[in-house]
Amino acid sequence: MKRATTLAIAAAVGALVLTGCGSSGTASGFKAPDVPMAKKLGANEGAVSILAWPGYAEDGTNDPKTDWVTPFEKATGCQATVKYFGTSDEAVNLIKTGDYDVVSASGDATLRLIAAGDVAPVNTSLLKNYGDIRSFLKNQPYNSVNGQMYGMPQGWGANLLTYNPNVVKPAPTSWASVFSPTSPYAGKITPYDSPIYIADAALYLKNTQPSLGIKNPYALDATQLAAAVAILKTQRHQVSEYWSDYLKQQQAFENGDSVIGTSWQFIVNLIAADKKPIKAFVPKEGSTGWSDTWMIASKSKHPNCAYAWLDYIGGPAGNAASAYYFGEAPANAKACSVIASTDKDPSFCTTFHAGDEAYAKKLWYWTTPVSTCLDGRTNVKCTTYADWTQAWTAIKG
Amino acid sequence: MRDHAVSPSIRLTNVAKTFGSVRAVDNLSLDIADGEFFSMLGPSGSGKTTVLRMIAGFEQPTTGTIELAGTDVTAMPPFRRDVNTVFQDYALFPHMSVLENVEYGLRVKKVAKAERRSRASEALATVRLDAHGDRRPSQLSGGQRQRVALARALVNRPKVLLLDEPLGALDLQLRREMQIELKEIQREVGITFLFVTHDQEEALTMSDRIAVFNEGRIQQVATPRELYESPTSAFVAGFVGTSNLLSGAAARSVIGREGMFSIRPEKIHLTDVPDGASTAAGTVRDVVYLGSANHYVVDLDAPPDATGATPTLTVLRQNLTDDGVSRRGDRIQLGWLPEHVIELQPPTEESA
Amino acid sequence: MSTRPRPPGPRTGLLLLPPLLWLGVAYLGALGALFLAAFWTTNEFTGDLVRVFTLDNFRELFQGSVYRTITLRTLGVAVLVTLVDAVLALPIAFFMAKVASPRLRRLLVIAVLMPLWASYLVKAYAWRGMLSTSGPLSWLGISPGYGLTGLVITLAYLWLPYMILPVFAGMEKLPDSLLEASSDLGAPARATFRRVVLPSVFPALVAGSIFTFSLTMGDYIAVKIVGGPTQMLGNVVADNYGVANNLPFAAAYAIVPVIVMLGYLGIVRRTGALENL
Repeated sequence: MKRATTLAIAAAVGALVLTGCGSSGTASGFKAPDVPMAKKLGANEGAVSILAWPGYAEDGTNDPKTDWVTPFEKATGCQATVKYFGTSDEAVNLIKTGDYDVVSASGDATLRLIAAGDVAPVNTSLLKNYGDIRSFLKNQPYNSVNGQMYGMPQGWGANLLTYNPNVVKPAPTSWASVFSPTSPYAGKITPYDSPIYIADAALYLKNTQPSLGIKNPYALDATQLAAAVAILKTQRHQVSEYWSDYLKQQQAFENGDSVIGTSWQFIVNLIAADKKPIKAFVPKEGSTGWSDTWMIASKSKHPNCAYAWLDYIGGPAGNAASAYYFGEAPANAKACSVIASTDKDPSFCTTFHAGDEAYAKKLWYWTTPVSTCLDGRTNVKCTTYADWTQAWTAIKG
Repeated sequence: MRDHAVSPSIRLTNVAKTFGSVRAVDNLSLDIADGEFFSMLGPSGSGKTTVLRMIAGFEQPTTGTIELAGTDVTAMPPFRRDVNTVFQDYALFPHMSVLENVEYGLRVKKVAKAERRSRASEALATVRLDAHGDRRPSQLSGGQRQRVALARALVNRPKVLLLDEPLGALDLQLRREMQIELKEIQREVGITFLFVTHDQEEALTMSDRIAVFNEGRIQQVATPRELYESPTSAFVAGFVGTSNLLSGAAARSVIGREGMFSIRPEKIHLTDVPDGASTAAGTVRDVVYLGSANHYVVDLDAPPDATGATPTLTVLRQNLTDDGVSRRGDRIQLGWLPEHVIELQPPTEESA
Repeated sequence: MSTRPRPPGPRTGLLLLPPLLWLGVAYLGALGALFLAAFWTTNEFTGDLVRVFTLDNFRELFQGSVYRTITLRTLGVAVLVTLVDAVLALPIAFFMAKVASPRLRRLLVIAVLMPLWASYLVKAYAWRGMLSTSGPLSWLGISPGYGLTGLVITLAYLWLPYMILPVFAGMEKLPDSLLEASSDLGAPARATFRRVVLPSVFPALVAGSIFTFSLTMGDYIAVKIVGGPTQMLGNVVADNYGVANNLPFAAAYAIVPVIVMLGYLGIVRRTGALENL
């Protein structure tokens, strides 16, 4: 009962905070609400509130040696408070509270944030490091509207098939090892706990069941969605747990409660640092992945510090530190040489294909499924994220 | 005192009970005959309730044995002992009706329902509560609850009924009625009643024999008459009825002998002192009006007693005529027959 | 009965005002807001609230068999946790109230209360460690792992004090003489327990069950930590609100446990147990 009340209070509060902007519009051809863009910068406000994926804004609390927030604070005088989120949905939800200035948004969140008027267009001429960002990350459908950028690209990477090599033998090559109905690792499989994970199943089906005609794992009609849901429901019986809290996943891999599943390079690094057996790679079918963009909240109380953060995290030093720690391809072309010199890892950018536009285009970046099919089909309506959300509840049962 | 021919209803042999460092019962031996109405009388903390609880099985004696009808039950749990208890607070089950309470003992012994019902109704009739079977204990008066508790115990037809100050919570009027009723029921059912009380009048009224307890020991076991007429110790003389104690110099002066003596107030004459009576002179200190009688408190013209206090005699005189024999301050002559002077044993030294 | 209470004066009324305001506005108001929100919907793309009356949330709730399954699972877990707690609390509370010395009793009360001083999360994570494949339970050869069994164990542990304390209070109120009377009348320990102790502490058991039942009905954090892939009602509500940002649907589903609890309290009221609290 207590929790229902809490929720209701939250509801009452939420009703005050939420601004019913009413910018519904049609799916991908939506009209961005008119949010003003900064014309010039003023003095820094002394504080900035950062909403980030885990590992994007390390201030030394996890590891004293891993800290690129403090140099930023010293340089700009903006005291940073960092809040990590576990899923894009959580980020979309949190930004609406108005408590955050900047957010690291993946492609399945960016357009929703823009459409809701929760983030403001970004004046890239105010970001001196914007010029160094690789061009194939600029003005992309997931971070701009009609040629207007809505943020500073951070980096991109793949969701990795991750396993414990001491248990999983022989080494897996395909996503089949987590989707096969007869997996020898039943009860030890750990998928990502978000409706967007349906795309992983769709990608697997795209390769294994061509008859379904899946061209883009984020553009599923009702039949295709049903097929993806069916293999996920089978997978459900083999799941140890669905993860969204990276610390719990780390713990589960280290204790042997999970031995194979989807993970991120960042978490793999943490497990490896604890000297536990772990391996991760992009299987032959390819992977879903992310391309993240730092965005500025339209209700930001510290817009100047927000711009300062974007410029810093997209700059060579900040981008290098965060991308290296998280384990992704940095957006800033100059970051690779910084990583090569400061982290003594000259092959990093090669490993992550940082400058390889062709490779980057092979990954299926998280994006929000909408009713207008993203693969260009016009004869059917595609399933929306709301459908995926309901399907996800049904999959978990 | 022991009868070895037939097994007594209850036999305690060298029973002692200590709680921590407190000796509640001190090496006690006692036989209670079958069908006897036996009372244990004493002030609170004298050990009488502990003895009762050991017989019921609620407490284990530290040493000694307890026999019921010749069987050693010392190690037996309460539910195997053929005794039943009427508790001081009645201990009626509040979630059961009166009838269910009375049936309880039969129910847990798996007596068939029909027999259970008829026996319980019968027991309720014995205590004149047959019309109240459906009520809850909380809907009854104190006296009624008391009778339910009695019926609940008696319905099991125990060999011994233990009663732990069962009338203590009742008002005087009701208590008198219940005393008579209890005695009648005991005669009717013919089983042994072991009755614990601190009310000497109650004990005297109802009992065949009484054991007077003090500090964990039995001071005297006797019939009510013996106890009253011939107490063997100052404690018994003082606890059972009102008593005038004389000792030391006061005894030498008033009785003319060394020792400790008791004279009951009603045996002392104020006027018309009979022939052959011993006499003493004194001053009336107080007159207490009791209705049917008066208490005269008289300071004797005698040296202080062993405790150093001025010897005083209390005299009970029926209000036969409103003569108003004496008033405060009157000089007065008291008299009593020598056979009414009870010589007491000096207090035992070891009981400290 | 002895002295009739004076009718409350204006000053008493003033004293009552703040708590009444709290109850009326913050508590019932929040419940009202919840109820209202259940009839709204969200923009499917932006997640913004759309304040237009609709019954869609309830339609989906009743048509989707998954929600029925989750509701039944949650009810089952709540019943199981309550039963486990009752079975554990009865002997513990009996020992505390009727067997232990006053000194030991005080120590035991502290021991029962102590886990309440520790954070809920710490305890839940402690059980995550206990239930882990390489955890202490596996050394004993038991490894339920993460899932329903682990969840029931963890929740039963978390809510046990809420069951022990009322039952202990109930046992303390039970006069020793009733137990002695039962034994005296020929009842062995088991019969005494069944016929005297159990009926006497039944209201206390019911009071405790209200806690264990409702706390389990609403839990979603322990489920996340030790439940493995298990979904409970609270998770669906939390996911819809906190993850999918679908407040109206979360509100609609959150009404289900409210109704369940009202029903449960209704049944409890019929047993008359509430009067004895």
